[in-house]
Amino acid sequence: MPQISVERLTKHYGTLVALDNVSLDIGSGEIFGLLGPNGAGKSTLLKTLVGILRPTSGTIRIDEIDIVVEPEKAKRMIGYLPENPSLYTGLTTLEFLQFVGKIRGVDDELLDREISESLKSFGLEEKRNSLLGSLSKGMKQKVALIATSLHNPEVLVLDEPLTALDPKTRVSVKDWIGARTKRGVTTILSTHDLDVAQSHAGRIAIIDHGKIVAVGDIESLRKMARAESDARLEDVFLRLTAEKGEDPILK
Amino acid sequence: MSLGTIGVLVRYWVKGRFTKATLVGLAVGETFSIVFVLFGSSTYLSFSNRVGLTTGLSEVAGSLLLALYLVGLIQSGFNGSGLPVNSSDVDYVFTSPVPPREVFGAKILLNSLTTVLFGFPPILVLYLRFSAYYRTGWPVAILAGMVTLVFLVIGLLLSADITLSLGRGIGQRKKLWRNLFITLVLVISLLPITLLIPEVPGVIAEAARILPNGLAATISVGLVSGTSRTIAYLVDLLLLFGWLVGFLLLGVRLSRGHFYEVLEVSVPGAEKFDEPSQSSRLNPRGRSLWSVVRLKERILISRTREARALFVNAMFLSGFLVIYALSGSFQSSPTSFLFILFIIGSFGSGTASRWIEKERLWILKSSPVSMRRYVKEVYRARLAPLLFYLTPVTVAVGVPLVLSQLGQPSLLLGVVLALPGALEIASITMAGGMYFASKYGQSSADDILSSQAQELADIRRFLFQTVINLIMVSPLILLVLASERLASSLGPGSLPALAASLVIVSIVFAGFAINVLLNKAGDAVSRREDL
Repeated sequence: MPQISVERLTKHYGTLVALDNVSLDIGSGEIFGLLGPNGAGKSTLLKTLVGILRPTSGTIRIDEIDIVVEPEKAKRMIGYLPENPSLYTGLTTLEFLQFVGKIRGVDDELLDREISESLKSFGLEEKRNSLLGSLSKGMKQKVALIATSLHNPEVLVLDEPLTALDPKTRVSVKDWIGARTKRGVTTILSTHDLDVAQSHAGRIAIIDHGKIVAVGDIESLRKMARAESDARLEDVFLRLTAEKGEDPILK
Repeated sequence: MSLGTIGVLVRYWVKGRFTKATLVGLAVGETFSIVFVLFGSSTYLSFSNRVGLTTGLSEVAGSLLLALYLVGLIQSGFNGSGLPVNSSDVDYVFTSPVPPREVFGAKILLNSLTTVLFGFPPILVLYLRFSAYYRTGWPVAILAGMVTLVFLVIGLLLSADITLSLGRGIGQRKKLWRNLFITLVLVISLLPITLLIPEVPGVIAEAARILPNGLAATISVGLVSGTSRTIAYLVDLLLLFGWLVGFLLLGVRLSRGHFYEVLEVSVPGAEKFDEPSQSSRLNPRGRSLWSVVRLKERILISRTREARALFVNAMFLSGFLVIYALSGSFQSSPTSFLFILFIIGSFGSGTASRWIEKERLWILKSSPVSMRRYVKEVYRARLAPLLFYLTPVTVAVGVPLVLSQLGQPSLLLGVVLALPGALEIASITMAGGMYFASKYGQSSADDILSSQAQELADIRRFLFQTVINLIMVSPLILLVLASERLASSLGPGSLPALAASLVIVSIVFAGFAINVLLNKAGDAVSRREDL
């Protein structure tokens, strides 16, 4: 039985159709990549999945819990990292993590341990009493990632977690995602980094103009795109998202 | 210096600055400030008439007011904001082959233009009110307004010069220099107070006229009050222009070098903190979720200087109310204590109206918490300091009022209701402020609205907020107005019971109104689709 089930999901912003009849099944412990051009509907899909946006129609179930019907129950199982996570700049790193842990219902004892271990693994121990406003972008991203998983969610929804990070931070974030997967956490990873998608995600969905144009592992995507058996994901992606009659390479 | 480049820069900055939304906002803002200026100036004139203030003391009051403006600009000068720049300036203007001096010239021109445009209408109305009172005629008011505008431009130049000088070794000792400057301005501006001490030579007070604020106040107030000192005014005017030219030349000279690195780039929504490291005060161990939410809010308020701003505003408010009380308006019009309701009550809406910008919606909306409850807890945390500052103000104004109405029990009831009523109204308008912020305020992360759309949303929010808050508090005002009639019809014997029951009714109503507004605020946050 899939852990995340999306059925005929549609989201309209006025006359704009941001998501058009999207259906997906994601299994437990899977890393699921989400690719698509800018404005394709990736962030809208993720925000709807985590209960921030209300669907115009369709259903989303996390472990059989409908996120629209029982949002608080479903949110306990999800950790969400937005594309541009903003933090409370007037709180210290420790205060911020304590606050987030508390509003996500983490037990005091567990929260202390989780914060200490996470700060240590991201090399942020020295910054525990620094105001978040004084941290670098990479450090803020690490703090946001820690906040995302403080309550040990079963599902992680990460929207472009590697954007604008330096190589060192990218490595530590990728390691962090890998470690979570080993623990059996289901991860939905939206990214523009096709290498990351190819190396980390078991299955990938390609979304364009609010529609899922292809879903599968890299082999099946190659077949769908009628690409060579050793074609890179980049070529597959360009073929699948090309307009009719348009040369995918020129695009 | 190429005037052509300055012209191009100013033209495009003006295009960016004065959008349709800005002009609508300007019109609304100017209307409200004109109403406030008319009210404030009438209060001051009644006060000066009652207390017998001389024109000389009015000049001192004007000089002190202008000194506060100067102090603010000195501070922003030392903060590196004397020449305000944004990230677009850094990205596009500073990387273009434009000499820094021309950037300085264009910035000064734009700032002066903005100040004159925004400042002239209320200043003109102020002097027109004074000239009508002293029967000196409108041309004099226009002249006085222009003199004050010259002073405002001098302030801008001073602030810019201070910022430019930060790159010349002054940066390391800027706190010392800043304090020195501010102390000097305040001490010299306060010298005329010595006029109140007998046998102190008047020449000491004259020293305040050395500074631009003293000169501007002397000329402007003197002109509208009809003091005939033509030669002295000409000398003062020359000195004032001397300051203007002096600061301008200094700025032109300082802007010859490369000064971009000393400028503080303004980032919308960014907050400044004194120290990058703080001791972590939010210990959640053993605390309930909602107590942690309140504590987090209190920490943010204290670290973002909101509490300090609240204190300063409360000081100004109490000062104004004391002047109002002393002006005799309460005595001359017994029902005018309703004024307290409006002034103290309106204090509430301002303090919480930007709360949503400080929130991080992605965290809240991806957490399993009730938004209605969350908003209520934030409100509780914000209400405490508001009442902490407003209660002493209300008591200070209320005690003399109660004492003056002791002989008229029916009027006394109105006063007794108005005092807690003022705090209730402040609490309701604060809840209203939070609701409208939840509905229209821009959140921290998403730029779903362009700045122009946000400006229009802010204007709409301001107007709706004013109307809805007035509707929500009107039952409390009506209660105060009706109390006199109720007291007269029921007789003095039933006054204590009547007072107690009316106070309870007003408290219950306030609680109901606050609950409705906060529930709507929570729902508005839940419905938002931005982060």
